[in-house]
Amino acid sequence: MVHKQEKMLSIKNLKAEIEGKKILNGLNLEVKAGEVHAIMGPNGAGKSTLSAVLAGRADYEVTEGTVEFEGKDLLELSPEDRAREGVFLAFQYPIEIPGVSNTNFLKTAINEKRKYQGLEPMEATDFLKMMREKMAMVEMDKSLTSRSLNEGFSGGEKKRNEIFQMAMLEPKLGILDETDSGLDIDALRLVSEGVNKLRNKERAFIVITHYQRLLDYIVPDFVHVLYKGRIVKSGDASLAKELEEKGYDWIKQEVEANS
Amino acid sequence: MFRISLFEFRIYREIMLVENIKAEFNLYKNQAEKSDFFLKREEAFAEFEKVGFPTTKNEEWKYTNLKNIVNQSFQSTCESTIETELMLSHAFLKDLTANKLVFVNGTFRTELSTIIETDSSIVITTLAKAKTAHSELFNKHFGKYAPIEGQGLNAMNTALLSDGAFIFVPNNKTLTNPVIIINIADSTDVNVLCQPRNLIIVEKSASLTLVETFYAVGNNPSFTNAVNEVYANENAHIEHYKIQNQEGESYHNNFTQIFQEANTNINHVTLTLSGTLVRNNLHFFMNGQNCNSLLYGLYMPHGTELVDNHTRVDHAFPNCFSDELYKGIMMDKSVAVFNGKIMVHLDAQKTNAYQRNKNILLSNEATVNTKPQLEIFADDVKCTHGATIGQLDEEPMFYLRSRGIPADVARKMLLNAFADDIAERIKIPELVELLEQEIEKKI
Repeated sequence: MVHKQEKMLSIKNLKAEIEGKKILNGLNLEVKAGEVHAIMGPNGAGKSTLSAVLAGRADYEVTEGTVEFEGKDLLELSPEDRAREGVFLAFQYPIEIPGVSNTNFLKTAINEKRKYQGLEPMEATDFLKMMREKMAMVEMDKSLTSRSLNEGFSGGEKKRNEIFQMAMLEPKLGILDETDSGLDIDALRLVSEGVNKLRNKERAFIVITHYQRLLDYIVPDFVHVLYKGRIVKSGDASLAKELEEKGYDWIKQEVEANS
Repeated sequence: MFRISLFEFRIYREIMLVENIKAEFNLYKNQAEKSDFFLKREEAFAEFEKVGFPTTKNEEWKYTNLKNIVNQSFQSTCESTIETELMLSHAFLKDLTANKLVFVNGTFRTELSTIIETDSSIVITTLAKAKTAHSELFNKHFGKYAPIEGQGLNAMNTALLSDGAFIFVPNNKTLTNPVIIINIADSTDVNVLCQPRNLIIVEKSASLTLVETFYAVGNNPSFTNAVNEVYANENAHIEHYKIQNQEGESYHNNFTQIFQEANTNINHVTLTLSGTLVRNNLHFFMNGQNCNSLLYGLYMPHGTELVDNHTRVDHAFPNCFSDELYKGIMMDKSVAVFNGKIMVHLDAQKTNAYQRNKNILLSNEATVNTKPQLEIFADDVKCTHGATIGQLDEEPMFYLRSRGIPADVARKMLLNAFADDIAERIKIPELVELLEQEIEKKI
């Protein structure tokens, strides 16, 4: 049998703006199943805009370009349909929702996804078993699940909860938006180990980060540098090391010189 | 000439209900025994004649116009012709193990009511029976707490009350099961006026769980004008739930006065699910130290419904605590009024009083008029108050949707979460469940 690596995500000439301010200026990116792509770049380059546009945040307007996810026009789908098709965004700032319990939230999310796929709701015992397994994976405290969603969680607990949710929802594409920001080294290790356990041949990741540190733990197949809304340089994991040593200025100069 | 006749017509219309009331009282007067009770009613009637119905010129009624009530004619003694079972099918919590008192159009219905309490020292009966059977208690408490002076609607209730519950819990007694008072207004045949009047006496170190429910059936308008007097003697504990779910053209005015002696604990929750016009007046008076008064409310009007909650908490003694939270989910062109007044009297040092009113507008056409008020005469107190009116936040919506939860489901989850602050104050699980179902249905 010939194994053909499928194209999962294809972003072509993506331009997007918020409140009239142009942020993405013709971004191109291709992600295949099983790959981990790191997107790095200086502040204001458009990193978080990319994740917001892919997840379907309403305040961003796409003015040009296409995003295909497994052959479907991703930009046409509502945020919930993108999620149910298999896109998962781990938020940079996960919000607190008092009054909605973690467990109830996850049960609803999983069963809505199953409904979308034409499946019956998950059995309660299977759900609890899955919860236990995945919680152990990110070393999440059991008491957190009975509490309200992220309410009173520390920064590290919130990020771990994002990875826990990702583990529960089993997406095809995981987008990590600056998941490392604000984490101490122990939390960073836990979160990264969680992500690494979720890596497999079918699942792809886009890891958005400002710092190379995270990529010591989650080793990417490709590293892209985002600057002024476009990918200006791509390479392998060694590019991240180079950026760590030399900063972003040489990239900026290269770009200015070429333009 | 034409204009004058129109003017006269308007005057006539406005006094329609007043004429009803006068005629009814005259009828009653000619038949009644000249007892103390009668004198009290006569006095109340005189006050009603003097004060009449409140108008929007009265600051306390600025946003709540009773013109649709006073311009109509209502009958207060009409029999209901609806079948028993059908009638109770409208009632919430009908399967809960509880002592049930059912009043249809203000009249007690023995065949629908059940008393399961076995302790004979605890009295669960009607006001009409208690007047003679427990005359000493009745005379000691009746009309002592709910003010009549300047209060036309209270005066009208006192003058022409239909019937109601009389509950007496003696010292150190606790009811095993709650008492549910089910009030049904049946306007199938005519416009109906119900004036329930409850008198609740909970003695020293005794406790009671009380649920009042209100329903309406029939296509004609109904008007419920209820008065509750609740007396909590030292160290008493009362859980008090009020559920208003009167559909169709139904008007409801409710005056509840809770009088607390020292060391008492009262938890009161008002759930307003439906009603054309609902006005709640909930007053607490703390007449001793170390009292706890908890007032919670949830309203979710739709269509053109109006819900008005006026509360007043009087801190008259030191070291008392009050906590108040009213929440509203506003749909369509509905209107809500909130006016919470906390009075901290000169002697009430070390008072802790908290008050909040929070509203979510689900429509551009809904209106909320809110006025949290504090009047503090003592100097060593901790009091806060505040109000918010806003829309459902976009951020939590996006978060839930980004996990695959459709917008309508996410919205319900967030509104349930909003209501949860109130639901968690309810200690009857069946009632909490019911509230969740109602939210599901209404939104």
